[in-house]
Amino acid sequence: MKEVMAIIRVKKISKTKKALLNAGFPSMTCRNILGRGKRKVDFMLTISPQEAANEIPELYEASSEEHRLVPKRLLTLIVQDDEVKKVVDGIMEINSTGNPGDGKIFILPISEAYRIRTGETGKYAL
Amino acid sequence: MLMVRAIIRIEKVEEVLKELSVAGFPSVSKMDVVGRGKQKGFKFGDILYDEIPKEMLLIIVNDEDKDAVINIIMRIAKTGENGAFGDGKIFVSPVDEAYTVSTNSKGL
Repeated sequence: MKEVMAIIRVKKISKTKKALLNAGFPSMTCRNILGRGKRKVDFMLTISPQEAANEIPELYEASSEEHRLVPKRLLTLIVQDDEVKKVVDGIMEINSTGNPGDGKIFILPISEAYRIRTGETGKYAL
Repeated sequence: MLMVRAIIRIEKVEEVLKELSVAGFPSVSKMDVVGRGKQKGFKFGDILYDEIPKEMLLIIVNDEDKDAVINIIMRIAKTGENGAFGDGKIFVSPVDEAYTVSTNSKGL
């Protein structure tokens, strides 16, 4: 079993959910998280650069100096080994806009799984 | 690749994040968690608090960077010289694969 951990944009979550459901992966866990990546976010994209530099130079400096945290969604799915590629491709297809900040997907090994209701283990628990 | 999961005090998060970014590890995810440790929470008079708020940091690093990241968190998130109960824990688990969504590429 593998755990697929995907950190994606907030506004892409409903489309991703729908796509995963259609692909046959209804079960998942979703969390609100804050995160940052390799690149700094340019918060001044929302205002014109000239205006920003004239009126609030300190703010412009501060925002371009530091790595700030932005809100993201963390999706977690536990799937069988052979299904990983399908899930990854599904998430990629919906979330890929080609811009930095689209997110990351991590695959982690899971050693055991249990269904609490029946006590089933292994692949029967999924 | 390894995933470093650090559960630390809320008030230490900002400093840890700053230090990580200076040391060249800007990529971090952060989430709010509540939990208790070996001390079973803490007791205040008759009331037992066993859901103590903490922050969890998720950092995925290459194997060789693991020690650097852990050292930074250990150093900054510690309270006082000898540390105190509730400073947190760090867990490290293996990551098989990583993908970047924007470029459809494999790797960190």
